[in-house]
Amino acid sequence: MTQTRRTLEAYEPLEPYPPRTANLADILERILDKGIVIAGDIKIDLLDIELLTIRLRLFISSVDTARKAGVNWWETEPALSTRANQDALADENRRLRERLDSLETSRECLAGDTPRAKRRKERPTP
Amino acid sequence: MTELTEPATSAEPSTATYVFAVCRATDAPALATARGHGDGGEVRALPAGTLAAVVQEVPTAAHDEEALRRRLSERTELERYARAHHEVVAAVCEAVTAVPLPLATLYRGEERARRALAEREARFHRILDRVEGCAEWGVKVWALARPSAPGGPEPATGGDDESPAGSSGRAYLERLRGRQRAREARQHAAWTAAERVDAALRPLAVASRRLRAQGQDPAQGGSGNQLLNAAYLVRRDGAAALATALRALNDAPDTGDQVRIEVTGPWAPYSFADGTDAADETHTEAPDGAG
Repeated sequence: MTQTRRTLEAYEPLEPYPPRTANLADILERILDKGIVIAGDIKIDLLDIELLTIRLRLFISSVDTARKAGVNWWETEPALSTRANQDALADENRRLRERLDSLETSRECLAGDTPRAKRRKERPTP
Repeated sequence: MTELTEPATSAEPSTATYVFAVCRATDAPALATARGHGDGGEVRALPAGTLAAVVQEVPTAAHDEEALRRRLSERTELERYARAHHEVVAAVCEAVTAVPLPLATLYRGEERARRALAEREARFHRILDRVEGCAEWGVKVWALARPSAPGGPEPATGGDDESPAGSSGRAYLERLRGRQRAREARQHAAWTAAERVDAALRPLAVASRRLRAQGQDPAQGGSGNQLLNAAYLVRRDGAAALATALRALNDAPDTGDQVRIEVTGPWAPYSFADGTDAADETHTEAPDGAG
């Protein structure tokens, strides 16, 4: 052991891992959906929760750091706060998509002109 | 106190049956310590033919679709709910062979829960047979954060610290290219190491699954990409071999020096409770969800 590897610092293989301290993202990725063996009567839209989990996963690694820094990202994360906000976000998404569509259409119309205009410019003036 | 003799319309019972896990009827575990959800009754075993469900009665109003959507959209509440679920499942699976069910598997009364289990009896037994004597281990592999932090030594050029005269532009480009090559080599070595870890562990497992990557490594201050997030279903008598293999991987230069390996477990066999595994998939058996 001449060299101390980074990997060994916080790593002791197969130490029993007490459930209480398990990382929330690790728990969530295990307890959500997973191909349904059996369906319950009360069905929550797991897709919503799944999206939430993905966001959580992205953020979870930085949660502890954030907490230390006094940041509660989830309070300012619109998708995580309320359903109403989620709907608002969906609306905004749709509006943006429509705008993008219309912009792309008008760009396609313009596209016909642009290269010609460019060529005109490039042509040496007599 | 006047109590209604019977609600005329029993459309929505005031309590719902929350099912945490399913085990064999002969295995019904002692559940004295499991608390379950804070607003529910005692966690108990509900016999259902040759199976038993580990259940808790919970108030419907707080666990219906609308309420759950609201509760689970709030991080602290999601965490509380998830951990309450997880603790019961973990306790059950530590004690007996059991199939963990997903978060918020709820029925309108225990009769409905019993019937749902009965309809899937064969399938549950098949999963129980598969996970019997096994535990799930999670293995995550992270790329190491770039060693050359600002101010750190740049190993590429030795001592020839030329003054930035004539060839400085070319030398600069060369250095950039060298750095780029080094970065690519590091990435390649890290990916190869992650594949090596998986290849070394898979033969020790009854089944394995790749889970979605989780992003950056919190242990490295949020840098270092996750290269592997896998779950292995390992027989309990194979846990020592798994530990040995992980130690060897950690000590080997082509893995241990390239990546950080993190292991979690033993978990309840969460990732292997969906009734399919690699073997099932290759056989493409007839869909048994016909009922």
